[in-house]
Amino acid sequence: MKKYLQLAKITFQEYFVYRLNFYLWRFRSFIVFLTLLFFWLAIYGNQSEFLGYQKAQMITYVIGIAFLRTIVLGSRSADLAGQVRSGELTKFFLQPIKIIGFWFTRDVVDKGLNFFFTIIEILAIVWLLRLSFYLPHYLSTYFSFTVLSLMAVFLYFFLSFTLSVIAFWTEEIWATRWLFGVIFLEFLAGAYFPLDVLPSWLTKIIYFTPFPYLVFFPMKVWLEQLTTFEIFKATLICLAWLIFFWWLSTFLWKRGSKNYQAYGN
Amino acid sequence: MNIIEVSHLRKFYSVFKKEPGVWGSLKSVFKRHYEEVRAVDDISFNIKEGGLIGFIGPNGAGKTTTLKCLSGLLYPESGFVSVLGFQPWQRKPEFQKQFALVMGQKNQLWWDLPPMETFLLNKEIYEVPDEQFEKTLDELIELLEIEDILKIQTRKLSLGQRMKCELVAALIHSPKVLFLDEPTIGLDVIMQKKIRDFVKEYNQRYQATIILTSHYMGDVKELCRRVIIIDKGQLVFDGALEKIVKRYASHKIISVILSEKVSLPKLKEIGKVDKYEYPKVNFHIGKKQTSQITSKILEELPIVDLNIEEPPIEEIIRDLFTKKNYR
Repeated sequence: MKKYLQLAKITFQEYFVYRLNFYLWRFRSFIVFLTLLFFWLAIYGNQSEFLGYQKAQMITYVIGIAFLRTIVLGSRSADLAGQVRSGELTKFFLQPIKIIGFWFTRDVVDKGLNFFFTIIEILAIVWLLRLSFYLPHYLSTYFSFTVLSLMAVFLYFFLSFTLSVIAFWTEEIWATRWLFGVIFLEFLAGAYFPLDVLPSWLTKIIYFTPFPYLVFFPMKVWLEQLTTFEIFKATLICLAWLIFFWWLSTFLWKRGSKNYQAYGN
Repeated sequence: MNIIEVSHLRKFYSVFKKEPGVWGSLKSVFKRHYEEVRAVDDISFNIKEGGLIGFIGPNGAGKTTTLKCLSGLLYPESGFVSVLGFQPWQRKPEFQKQFALVMGQKNQLWWDLPPMETFLLNKEIYEVPDEQFEKTLDELIELLEIEDILKIQTRKLSLGQRMKCELVAALIHSPKVLFLDEPTIGLDVIMQKKIRDFVKEYNQRYQATIILTSHYMGDVKELCRRVIIIDKGQLVFDGALEKIVKRYASHKIISVILSEKVSLPKLKEIGKVDKYEYPKVNFHIGKKQTSQITSKILEELPIVDLNIEEPPIEEIIRDLFTKKNYR
């Protein structure tokens, strides 16, 4: 365990070597958040309800996206593909360290740092714009939200890890990552708008994919718009996907590491 | 006891060949032509504990591929490999804690942080106890004289400084088996010497088993008594360095110091002249004629001194690789 702690320390230090890089990254995330927020504020105008969402609920949804983007949709494991390609991965095959543990540790540090800054940014905006923010009434909601969000963190980690591992065979994954990152993930996860504003036949299909469990469902739970049965069902589907991608990523990793050619010299 | 056993090791790669140009690229989208490269083809050897073995061969001979198979990076096609009683590609932590691979062209240090951070991380990765870590680190720092660069960002270090730190990072867990792939590549002569001395010292002090590949014959000549030569994935020679000379040198060099000038044609009558710069002449003489020609020189030339020498090892190996007359 100590090795992962030391690794976390090193990862943390790395961020402070390139401070500007980190600030710019935060700035970008902040702009994405503000754009989406002002977009929805403009649509609402003076109305208090739109597409079945109260204004406060929609604002809460957008703020929730900013938050979940940080802790769920951010993963360093994309770098793994680059390491396969450049042969840098070699060093991890020589040392007694688990690759999944390696990337997860780096992710935790990354998420932790970004979490800290996101909370400050969100609080500042809520206070500055005097936004009304929806706070759940029941204690159990906080619990369900936490559980679903944590599952989302792991689900995204294994999903992203699986995609990176494909580099063992293709040695090039930007096309898949782009398709996945922009089209499927952001859109189908509900990272721009709540998915239930779409026609119901479409949402039914989307609910069977792993994506809405990353952002959309945790937010629906927070907004207390789901029945206990629906929460239960969502948790189960999410769990099934989580187990599937966990299995797939380890399976592909094992196959791929046999296939690895350790290029470079 | 054999620490390393390799028997009938084979490793083939399939490489995709692209025709040059845009058209070639487009064609490769639909149909790819793969070709099999036999990087290592049926190699066998054993190494005993404490051995320091030189691994030589021209570029692309299969040296690095063999080392990669021995360290578990590559999964061999067929054959048997055992290092410290483990099958390397199973990548067992107990095995990994006992060996290290250092590649001169690869960076294992954390690029953006000072080398000390890598050492500390490796300490935890290899689960080295605090006391042992400090002892080993002190020794290595002293041997390599790197006290003052431990806190400088790795990317700002010179190549030689970085190589020294690479060695420290790889040795922090006191491996029993060490593979050094071109450890002196790109280093100046002074630094080469330092690294060599270090490798020698490490081998003797810890009874570590070391395989070294290098393009610099100097490294091999100074460090290794036993040499393994491979070419085109096959083992060509395995034995003492001196034996290469005995087995492959087809000629000797007789160098003579003259007491007065002799014309070149006259010298040529005696034997093949390699070089003539008065007062020194080098004759290039076939092994069997040595004694005959030596007496002829003594009789016919005004000489001050005479030496019979073996040709330099670099030359023999160069001839070996270019003429490919392995016996």
